Formats: sequence, structure tokens, C-alpha cells
Amino acid sequence: MMPLRYLQLDVFAARPGAGNPLGVVIEGARFDPSQMQAFAAWTNLSETIFLLPSTTPDADYRVRIFTPRQELPFAGHPSVGAAWAALDAGLVAADKTSLVQECAAGLLPVEIQYCDGIRLPHVRAPRARRIGGSELSPDLLDAATRNMRGGVLEHALWDNGPQWWLIELADADAVRTLQPDLPAIAALTEATGAVGLVVHAPDARDGHHLAVRAFCPADNIPEDPVTGSAQASIGARLAAADRLPGHQGIYVGSQGRELGRDGRVTVRIDAEGMVWVGGEVQVAIRGELHW
Amino acid sequence: MTSRRYTQVDVFADRPGAGNPLAVVLNAEGLTDAQMQAIAKWTRLPETTFVFPAVSDDSSYRIRMFSPRREVPFAGHPSVGTAHAVLEAGLATPHDGLLVQDGIAGKLPLRVTGEGAMRTIAVRTPRASVREIASADDPRLKDLLRTLPLGKLPPALMDGGRRWWLAELESETALRSATPPWEAISSLAQSTESMGLCAYARSDDPVYYLAVRAWVGAPAQFEDAASGAANATLAAWLASQNALPGDSGFYRISQGREVGHDAIIELTVDAAGDVWSGGRVCTVVEGALRW
Repeated sequence: MMPLRYLQLDVFAARPGAGNPLGVVIEGARFDPSQMQAFAAWTNLSETIFLLPSTTPDADYRVRIFTPRQELPFAGHPSVGAAWAALDAGLVAADKTSLVQECAAGLLPVEIQYCDGIRLPHVRAPRARRIGGSELSPDLLDAATRNMRGGVLEHALWDNGPQWWLIELADADAVRTLQPDLPAIAALTEATGAVGLVVHAPDARDGHHLAVRAFCPADNIPEDPVTGSAQASIGARLAAADRLPGHQGIYVGSQGRELGRDGRVTVRIDAEGMVWVGGEVQVAIRGELHW
Repeated sequence: MTSRRYTQVDVFADRPGAGNPLAVVLNAEGLTDAQMQAIAKWTRLPETTFVFPAVSDDSSYRIRMFSPRREVPFAGHPSVGTAHAVLEAGLATPHDGLLVQDGIAGKLPLRVTGEGAMRTIAVRTPRASVREIASADDPRLKDLLRTLPLGKLPPALMDGGRRWWLAELESETALRSATPPWEAISSLAQSTESMGLCAYARSDDPVYYLAVRAWVGAPAQFEDAASGAANATLAAWLASQNALPGDSGFYRISQGREVGHDAIIELTVDAAGDVWSGGRVCTVVEGALRW
């Protein structure tokens, strides 16, 4: 039997090691769902994806996304990596710039841009909406944010699939030097059904516009290196408040430096108000898989 | 950016997914300590090893091993898995059935037996000593043993580089159905500067003599899928009590079923009293790393 092609990508990264890793099995059709889950547990990566032929003529490819514990309907960095890998593996015509990804959450549009020959996939995030603010859990919110220097926007819970508490801080230093109170954040997010809490502030350095950090202590992830869905939620709230940084609805969010990474997420708000997230993808590992 | 030979293997496994995963960077020359640590963090595997050419005639290759948090002087499954990767890549050949790895813990021999899928590799582990023999009513163990029915031998603290508490349970059923008392394991690990508790029980299974579960209490809490070094300290303990299973100094143990794995580890106590820990290895990913 032909060996399976395997990639371990680094997504939202300008160099290997800067972003969020992703395992990619190109010939995903050779795995049944229980094998997919077993392999995703074995890689221990935050997500491992399996590329499959689409089941509808409206889609260019299909992807199934697994964490070590479960299958996910949709996730940001795995979708960016999936589009990149589908093109790299020749599953999609190389000159296509507008793709449709089929995943468990449905059909998802993907746009491919090229910049200096670098392939940059962007995926459209589900529409984000504000769920509420401090009235949801005033005491726990106060406890989780007590040591933070707040910014202009009021603290709010937003939903774009996962729910995130969005906390604007006074400036980039307040973001970069924050020592999060993880037990208090865990208590808040558990009580309100949020996956985590993110802090953000304008940060016009090194070609990015926003500094972001995401904490998910209730899920045993004290700090996530680069988070597509959280970045998209922030883009939606900044657009709603008419406070978008960058130019013409496009800006770059920086995340992960406090963990030794250097993730860069390009966020774009389109004419319909939808948020697209994308970025650079590095191949750290390319090989054959025996499973 | 350099491309290096990279392989990801499954150690103590007769099929992919049964054992303990390991990443191996085969030509690591030129990587800095910081880069090795960053790669080991990025792979998210229990250990990542780096192979360098031998610097002396009496060793086959040089090895450094890193967990996601720090460099590790010696561990069993990374030694066995790295020898497999080195042999598969043709970077060294055994002399009189032996390879010699040169690492922080010194030069350690590995015995290579059999060929192809039936090949087993065992590493001679650093000498382990009995630090302490405890009684079943030791106040430090009270919380720990409340839900774990003890077997014949008393609990003991062993030191084989890393320290492990060992406790025999009354039956394989009791061992396999046990819920690890994590709080008690963590506080014991911290107060005695040990990894945690390695519990074991005699078995009637035709393949293995002992069933083993290794619960790491600090800094993180998790159950290890296959612990080469912990099992080596267990063999040294059983030898010291004239309680080795089998009759030739050779026996197999089963570990990892409770965490979705199914590892088999082979232990040998030789005439000199040294413990060899080994088993089979499967190559899962074969390719290149760009970093």
C-alpha cells in the first residue's frame, strides 16, 4: 500500500516554531473515525486534521478536525492549515483563490492570497455576537479582572462558536506583562460557559497592530499560543465599536510572545461585517505516516 | 533554515499507538540548546531526542533528551526509541549485539536482539537503590492508600536518577480499576521530591507477569503510558526482595491500557544485578524537520 503523506504545520507563523502546531493526514480517507481519534490522541497536538474528498459538489475538499479527546465541528487554525495543505498536496487546483471547505459545521468559504509568493489562506469565521457583560457574573468577573488595567471598552462575553470573555486593557504593556489570576479566570469561564478569557490592546510594533493573549485554565490550557476564534471575536467587537486598528478593515494581531512563540493573525472585516482570519503557514515536518 | 532527518516512533509497542511516543531529530548538529528546548516544547510529546555523531570510539552516537519543560539526563523509552531510529537510518551498527549511547548520564549500552518487526532493544538503566521502605500505616501514605488495597510487599521509595514510590496492589483487577488519588499522589511527590506512585500487581496473563500503572504527581498530574525507567526501578526493588517474577531474571509487564495505550515492556536483571529495560518500537512518521 502507498505510504500516507503526513505534515506537521505551524500556523499563523512567520518561522517554524512561532505559531500553533497542526498535524495533517493528507490521505484521511484511509482512516476510520476511531483510527482518526486514536492517531490524534497519539500526536498529542491541540488539533490533528484529516483531509477527505468532499461529499458535495459545492465544496473543494472536506476536513475532519480532532483534538486528543474529541472531534470538533470547526476551529480556526486547523481550517487555515487545511486549506494550505489541500493546495500543497494538489487536492485542489493550484490556481484557485476562492475555495469552499466542507467540515462538520458546514460549508466554509476560504480565500487564498499570495504575498511575495507566500500562500496565505484566510477563513471566514462564524458571525460573532455579544452575549452580555458584567451583569452575567459581576463578582467572578471582578475577581478575574481585578489585577488588570482596563481600557475603554467594557468587559463583554462574545460568541462565534466558542464563547470568549473579551477584556480590553489600557495599553500593550498591560497585556504583555499581565500575570493572570488563573483560578479566578477558571471560575469565571466555568460559571458562564466560556472557553476562556482574552485580553487585547493596541500595539503598533513589528508590523502588527494589536497585542492579544488568551487564557483557558478551565480546559487545562493556562495560555493558548495563537487562537483564531478569539482573534476573530475581538475583530468583530472592535468593528462594532468602530475602533478597528490597521488599514481599510485589515490588521495583524500578535499573540504568543509570552510563551516563546510569535504568532501573527491577519484579521479582515469584509463589507458584510464578517470577520476573516488568516496568516502564514510553515511546514515544520514533512514525511510518511505508518499507522 | 536547515532540513534535518526526523522520525516519530512508538516505543514499547507491537503496533502503532500502543506505546509511548517519541520524536527523534537524527542529525542535530548545529542546533542550540534553546532551539532543542523549543522543538521539544513544540512537538508536545513526552520526550524529543537529538542525535549527534559519536565523539569517542567506545560509543555509537551522542544523545540529548528534552521533555517539553527541560533537559532530561536519562529516561528509558527515549533511549530505546532513539536506538531504533538510529538503526533504521543506518547511522550506527551494533557490535556484538550492543550499541552504546553517550549522554548526560554517561555511556549506556543497548542490547539489540532479533530483526525486523520482531527486533527488541533494551537499555541498561542506571543503578537504582532503595531509599526507604515504608510500612502500610505510614502517615505520609495514609491518604494515598485509603482506596488502594495493598499486596504482599511493603511500599518503597526507589531512586534510579528519578525517584518513584512503588506499591504492590492485591490484584490486577484492583490495579486496573483503581482511580488514582491525584491529590495524595501530588503531595507525596512534592514532599518526597519524587515523580509519584508506580503501582503494580501480579498477573496470570500468559504474556506478562505484572500489570503496572505509573502516576506522575508533579509538576503535572498524568498517567504515563509506558515508563521504562520506573519499571527499571521496580525490577531493582523486586530483585532486592527476592521477589522477581519468572525464573530467569526476565519478565514482561503490561502498562497503559487505562490511558488508551497497550504497552509491553521487557525487563531483564542480569548476573551483575543490572536492570535492562526494553521492547519493540514502531516507526510512525519518517521525514524531515525544517526549523
